[in-house]
Amino acid sequence: MGRAGGATAMRGEAGAVAPPPVLLDLDLDVFDGPFDLLVTLILQDEIDIWEVRVSRIIAEYVLKLADSGDFDLDATSQFVVLVAALLEMKSRLLLEEEVEEDLEDLDPDEAAQRLLERLVRYSQFKNAAGALRDRWDEHAGRLYRNVAVPPALLRRPVPKGALPAQALVTALAPLLREPPVPDTSHLADLAVSLVKELRRLRMILGDEGRFIFADVAPQDRFQRAVTFFALLELHSSGEALLRQTRHFGDIVVTRAAHVARADAAAVPVPAG
Amino acid sequence: MHSLARRLEALLFISARPLPAAELAVACACPDDEVVEALASLRDEYDAERHGFVLNEVAGGFTFTVADDCASDVRRLTGAQRPDELTPALLETLAVVAYLQPVTRSDVAEVRGVSSEWALSSLEERGLVEQQGRADTPGSPILYGSGERFLKLFGLRSRSELPPLEEFSLQSSAVEEIRARLLANAERRRA
Repeated sequence: MGRAGGATAMRGEAGAVAPPPVLLDLDLDVFDGPFDLLVTLILQDEIDIWEVRVSRIIAEYVLKLADSGDFDLDATSQFVVLVAALLEMKSRLLLEEEVEEDLEDLDPDEAAQRLLERLVRYSQFKNAAGALRDRWDEHAGRLYRNVAVPPALLRRPVPKGALPAQALVTALAPLLREPPVPDTSHLADLAVSLVKELRRLRMILGDEGRFIFADVAPQDRFQRAVTFFALLELHSSGEALLRQTRHFGDIVVTRAAHVARADAAAVPVPAG
Repeated sequence: MHSLARRLEALLFISARPLPAAELAVACACPDDEVVEALASLRDEYDAERHGFVLNEVAGGFTFTVADDCASDVRRLTGAQRPDELTPALLETLAVVAYLQPVTRSDVAEVRGVSSEWALSSLEERGLVEQQGRADTPGSPILYGSGERFLKLFGLRSRSELPPLEEFSLQSSAVEEIRARLLANAERRRA
């Protein structure tokens, strides 16, 4: 997609509460990706990119397509990708609660800085791609000799006696033998069954009325998973209530009837 | 023509791939510096549009290529075509791979801001990018790099002939402007 002439002006809608119309000269043929679009939008005067409504860009583009009459699948699909990525980036940076829930919170300054770094980095490669394009135009059409050297010129004599028939037999024989059955005795049998775990957890619940999952779960990961399944079984059967107050925190399991008796206000929260 | 130059001419004629000077020297049983000198004189001979092909140094070696003004006749004879044009997205992806190799698919996506799966497989199909092992990180993602065909199609002797990436940086004034606008937006978000 080259830089064609012609711009698309976006007209504002008349509306009492709508923000002032944004006049945007945007040649949609040009953008190779969301960063490309973003960089250009930011560098243009009078544009606050966060005020640009993506829905308008789409509407204008569709109008343009309708006018031109031909449907360019490549250009359109690239455009869709571009708009989707732009929307995603806008949503990340516009949300008050940060979407990126890392251990540190991403404040607007930091988000801006990160975006800047990515845009700058991206621009380098976009420009490098332009230089590659020039090289391509100059060199890609060159014709090289592509054929292999004719076999007649490559024929080399095989030394006599180099491949006796016996060697072939010796090589083939092991392949025809049945391989020994592998010994699996070192693999341990499953030590935990779902049924057994269910029974065990029910006993604990019956005796004590509550427990913490981490306390009763086995160390082995696989067995732990089976125990967790048992826990979920207890929950879905209504026998137990599960509560976890923070991510990766303790899962507290309480007997359903027990809770109903003692604390009517408790709200059962399924384990996260 | 100098006799070593003639011998080199024969080797270059018969070879299907660019030949490094060292390899030519072994084939001729000659010291490297003599070969280099003879290659220079060969180059002069073929430079002056006297012949239908020229001597090029590309992809780590020397090779003959059809002269530009004779290309259309050759195409008519062999049916060969110009390689399919590269779209801007493909060129961009190629630039990332060429400069940063070896890279994984997600490295490329990180730089470009879009998924590059399609671009990478398209480039692979054209022989411009090749798989070069796997990364040592979890998931062992495939590493991509540029191949010999890349050098040939872009007329490069080696990857080091690519202009340094710094040459393509945004002007610092542009960077500052972007930074200022982004930070202004951040301010407005906070307010």
